Amino acid sequence: MSQPTLTLSRARHSLGPWARIAGLTVCALLTLGPVVWTVSTSLRTPAESFELPPQIIPVHPSTAAYHGVFEQIDVWLLALNSTLVTALVALGQMVTAGLAGYAFARLDFRFKKPLFGLVLATMMVPLQVTIVPVFLVLKSTGLTDTLLGLIVPAFPTAFGTFLMRQYFLGMPKDLGEAAMLDGAGPWRIFRSVYAPLARPGLAIVGVLAFNYHWNEFFRPLILETSGQNYTLPLGLVSLQGNLGTGSISVVLAGVVLSMIPAVAVFVVGQRPLREGITSAGVNR
Amino acid sequence: MTDTGTRIPAVRTRAASPGAAAVRPSARERGTRLLAALFLAPTVVGIVVFTVVPIVGSVVLSLFHWNVIDAPGFAGTANYREIFSDSTVLVSFRNTLVFMVFAVAAQLLIALGLALTLNGRMPAWLRSVFRSAFFFPLVLSAASISVVMKYLFNQDFGVVNWLIGLFGLAPVPWLTSEHGAMATVVIVYVWQQFGFSFLLFVGGLNNIPKEIHEAAALDGATGLRKHLAVTLPLLSPTLLVASVVGIINALQVFEQPYVLTDGGPGDSTRTVVMVIYEKAFEQLRFGEASAVGVLLFVLIMAVTALQFRLSRRFVHYQ
Amino acid sequence: MTDSLLSRRALLRYGAYGAGAAALAGTAASWDRLTGADIPGRDDGSLVVATLGSAFAPAGVRALVDGFRRLHPDIKVRINAVQAVDWSDFFAKILTQIAAGTAPDLVYVATEGVQLFARHLGVPLDRWVRRDAAELKEYFADVHPSLVESMMYEGSLYQLPIEFNAADMYLNTRVLRRAGADFPAADWTRDDFTALLRRMKKASDSHFTPYFWTNRLWGGVVPWLFANGTNLLAESKAPGGSWLWDSFYPADRRRGRGGGFRWTTPQATDDRVVEAYDYLASLVHDGLCTRPEGGNGQNLIGVFSTGRVGVTPAGGFWAGGLHLAGMRADGFDVQYFPRRHTQRHQFGAAGYALLRTSKKQDEAWEFIKYSARRETLGELFTTNQTTPARRSMLTTARYRETGPAHWRVFYDTLDRFPDTGPIPAPPQVAEVTQVLLKHTGTALASPGAVGPALRRMQGDLEKAMERDV
Repeated sequence: MSQPTLTLSRARHSLGPWARIAGLTVCALLTLGPVVWTVSTSLRTPAESFELPPQIIPVHPSTAAYHGVFEQIDVWLLALNSTLVTALVALGQMVTAGLAGYAFARLDFRFKKPLFGLVLATMMVPLQVTIVPVFLVLKSTGLTDTLLGLIVPAFPTAFGTFLMRQYFLGMPKDLGEAAMLDGAGPWRIFRSVYAPLARPGLAIVGVLAFNYHWNEFFRPLILETSGQNYTLPLGLVSLQGNLGTGSISVVLAGVVLSMIPAVAVFVVGQRPLREGITSAGVNR
Repeated sequence: MTDTGTRIPAVRTRAASPGAAAVRPSARERGTRLLAALFLAPTVVGIVVFTVVPIVGSVVLSLFHWNVIDAPGFAGTANYREIFSDSTVLVSFRNTLVFMVFAVAAQLLIALGLALTLNGRMPAWLRSVFRSAFFFPLVLSAASISVVMKYLFNQDFGVVNWLIGLFGLAPVPWLTSEHGAMATVVIVYVWQQFGFSFLLFVGGLNNIPKEIHEAAALDGATGLRKHLAVTLPLLSPTLLVASVVGIINALQVFEQPYVLTDGGPGDSTRTVVMVIYEKAFEQLRFGEASAVGVLLFVLIMAVTALQFRLSRRFVHYQ
Repeated sequence: MTDSLLSRRALLRYGAYGAGAAALAGTAASWDRLTGADIPGRDDGSLVVATLGSAFAPAGVRALVDGFRRLHPDIKVRINAVQAVDWSDFFAKILTQIAAGTAPDLVYVATEGVQLFARHLGVPLDRWVRRDAAELKEYFADVHPSLVESMMYEGSLYQLPIEFNAADMYLNTRVLRRAGADFPAADWTRDDFTALLRRMKKASDSHFTPYFWTNRLWGGVVPWLFANGTNLLAESKAPGGSWLWDSFYPADRRRGRGGGFRWTTPQATDDRVVEAYDYLASLVHDGLCTRPEGGNGQNLIGVFSTGRVGVTPAGGFWAGGLHLAGMRADGFDVQYFPRRHTQRHQFGAAGYALLRTSKKQDEAWEFIKYSARRETLGELFTTNQTTPARRSMLTTARYRETGPAHWRVFYDTLDRFPDTGPIPAPPQVAEVTQVLLKHTGTALASPGAVGPALRRMQGDLEKAMERDV
C-alpha cells in the first residue's frame, strides 16, 4: 500500500523518509523498552535489578529465575488449563460473534436495533459489578470451580459481535444478491458466499479473545477454587511470595513465560489480524 | 434448509410448488427470521444469562443494604443518597473522566500520528516490524506490566527518571504526587492500549482509495492541510469506532491505578471501578457498590449515545 | 467460479472441518479437565481450608495436607490456596463463596481481619481450648502472650497465632560501612536514627536515599505512632480473657493482659500523631527519606539490596526475601525500631479462623491444633519468609544461611517490649486503612500539607468508625 503514500511523503518533504524512520524507531524503542527490561531482569538476580544505567544485556546472565518458576509452580498443568480455557473461549467467540455479527449485518428481523443495543451495552458493565451474581448463576448450574465455568460465560462477546457486524457490512452486497438471484436461500448465502470471506475477521476475534483471556485474572480468582483448576496468571501470583518477598526475577520470569504463547498467537495471527482490522473500523 | 421463494418476481425459483405463490414473500422472510434467531441464540442467551440477569441483580442490590454475611435489608434510595454525599465517590467520577479525556486523546493522537507516519514510503519489512512493535504491548497482562512499570517509574531509583536525568532534568515524583500519579497511570495505560487504535487506523488508511489522494494533490493540497481536509474525513468512521471502544474501556480502568498507586496519593488516581471494588470487597457494602456500578453504567451509556449522536454530523461514510 | 477458486474453497472447508474435528476431539479428551471431574475428593465432604496462596510455598501446602492425613486419617482435608495478590483479593474470593453458601471451614486470617471475622463470621475457640488445655500447654508456653492477645476479641480467643512480623529496622551493612557508622545500639533514639540518616546521605551519591518505606497499615506510619506513645485510634482492652491467661501463663507474664484490643475514637489530630507526621515530612524535606509509595513493597527489596537505601522497616519475613534476592547474610542486619517516647513496636500476626457456617467444627479444631504444632510449622516455614510464632523455632540454625546476625531481635521485640501490640484493626479495618493511606499520601506529597491532611483524616475516620460493618 505504498502507492497512495507516494504523494503523501512528497508533500511532507520537510520530514524526509529517514527522519520519519528515525522517529518511528524511537517510538518503537519506547514501546518495547519495558518489555526488554522485563526480559533482561528475569535473567539476573534481583540484587542487580536496580542497576543504573540499566543493563540491557545482563553481565552474569542466569536462568535460575526460570528454574525457580518451574520449581515453585506446576507450570505445565497451569499452562494446560490456560490453553484449554483460552482456546475454547476463542473458538466459541469466533462462532457466536460470527453468527450474531452476520445476523445483525445481513439479515432482517424485528427488534434488530434494540437487540444490537443490548449486545453493545454489555461492554459497558464492569466485571467487578456483576461477579457475585455471575457466581450465583454458575453455582445454580454446577459450573463453579470448573474450567467450563470460565469458558461458557465468555462465549458471548459484545466487541466481537460488533466487529463481525462491521466486517460483514464491509463485504459487497451484490455477492449475496447475485446468489439470491441464483435461487440461494439465506442459509446458502451465508454458508457459500459470506462465511468463507469472514476468515480474517474471525481471526481478529480469536486473537483478541486469546489475548484477553490468556491474561485474565479476576474471573479465575473468584470462580476457581481447586488448585488444579488454576490458570497461569493465578499461579504466577504465588511467585510474589509472602508480603512481596518473592524474588522479582522469578516473578518476571513467570511473566515472560506466560507472554510466550500470547506472542506466538500474535505472530501467527498477525496477517489475518491486519487484514481483518483493515475492514473492521471503516464501514458503517 | 432450502428456500422456496424470493421477493424478486422475475427470478425463477427452483422448487416452485403450485400453492406457494401466495405465501412466497413471507416464506423467505420466515426463513430469514428463523436463521437470524438461530444465529443470535448463542449470543443473546449467553448475554441474558451471564450479563443481563447479573445486571438486573445488581440494580436490585443497589436498593438494599447487604454485607454478604447477613440477609439483605431494603434500603430504598439510601445507597444512592449515601454515594452522592461521599466525596470519594464524587472524586472518583471526576478522576475517571479526566483520565478518560487524556487517555483517549493521547491514545488516538499517538495512534493516528504513527499510522500516518508509517503510511509513508519505506521497505515493507520495516513497516511490518514497526507495526508489530506498536501492537506488542497489547498481548501483555495489564497487571503484570503495571508491576514492571512501578519499578521503572520509581522516583528515586527508576529508569525513567534516570533517562530524564540524562537530559539534565530533575527527577519527577511520578507515583508520589497527585499530578504525577495521574500522568503515570495515563502513560502506562496509553502505552499498552494505543496499539489497538493504531491498527484500526492502519486499516482505515489502507482503505482510502488512492485516487482521492491524487485528486487532492492535483488540487494543490499538501502536508498537514491535506490530512485535515482529505484524510481525516475519510478516516472519520474509523475514528468513531476507535473512540467509542477507547472511551468505554477507559471509563472502566482498574488494573493500572490499582497496581501503580492504589488510588493515591490521596484520592488522586482512584477510579470508579476501584471504588466499586473497594466498597464491595473491602468494605462489604455491596448495595453501595452496586449503586456506583449503576451510575457508571448510565454514564457510559450516555457518553456513548452522545458520541453516536455527534457522529452523525462529523462522520462521513464513503 | 474458476477451478482454482473451487479447490481453494474446498481446501478451506476441509481445513475448517479438520480444525473443528480437532477442537471437538480435544474438548472430548479433556472433558474431565474442563469439568474438574479428574480432581480427586472434590465436594466429598472434606474439611476445606482456605489459605493465602502467596503466603505458603506450594510444597509447604502439600506437606501440610500430608502431615494432617497421617495424624488424622479419618478426616479428609482439602487446602484451597487462594492465589490472591493481596488481602482484598483474598477477601473477595472468600466473600463470594460465603454469598453462594460454599464457604470454607477454615480461613487463614491476619491481624487485619481478626476482628472483622470474629465479629461476623468466626466461632470462638474457647471451649475447645479449655477442653484440650493439657495438650495446648506446650503451645502457649512457646508463644508470646502479646501474639495470643492480638487474636482475642471481647474476651474470647478466635485464632491460634502461628506466624507474626514486628516492624524492626533493617540496615544495609555496606551503607553503614560507607558512612563509617557503627551498628546502632538496641536502645537508640529517633534522634540517633536521624543522625545516622544524615551521615549515610553525606557519604553517598545522588542515587541514594537513606530511608525508604511503603505507605501501608503495617510498617508505614504506625510504628512511628507507637514510638510516640500514641495510635491512630484510641486503644483500650476488652475485659475478660482471664480464663486463658490464668491457665496458661505465669503471673508475671499475664499482667495487664485482657480480652483483646478495642480500637475506638479516632485521634489523628492528637499532638503526638501530628508530631510523627511532621517528623516524616521533615525527613522527606531534607532528602533523607522517599515519599512513600503505596503497594506491597516489592520495590523495597531491590533498592535495599543494591545499596540505594540504607534503612527500612521490616519484619522477620524480610530475611528470606533478601536472601532470595541474592543478598548475603552479612550484607544486612536488623535492630529494634528506634525509641521516642516509648519503644513499643507494632506487629501483625496470623492463624486460622473457624467459620460459624462450618458443619465440621470439631474436625476443624483438630486442624487448627495440628497447624500450630512445631513440626507442622517447621515444614511450612522453611525459607524465613515470616517469623514463626513459636519462640523455640528461632534458632541459630534457622538463620545461619539467610542472616541477619541479630536474628534474636525478631522475637526479643516481644519479650523486651511486652506492651508491643498489633496494628490497629477494628472490624472497620478496610475503611480505616483506606483513609489512613489516602491522607498519609497527601500529607507527605507536598510541604505544609500535614495539618490539613490530618484534619481530613480525622473527619473520615470518625465517619468510618460510626459505621457498623
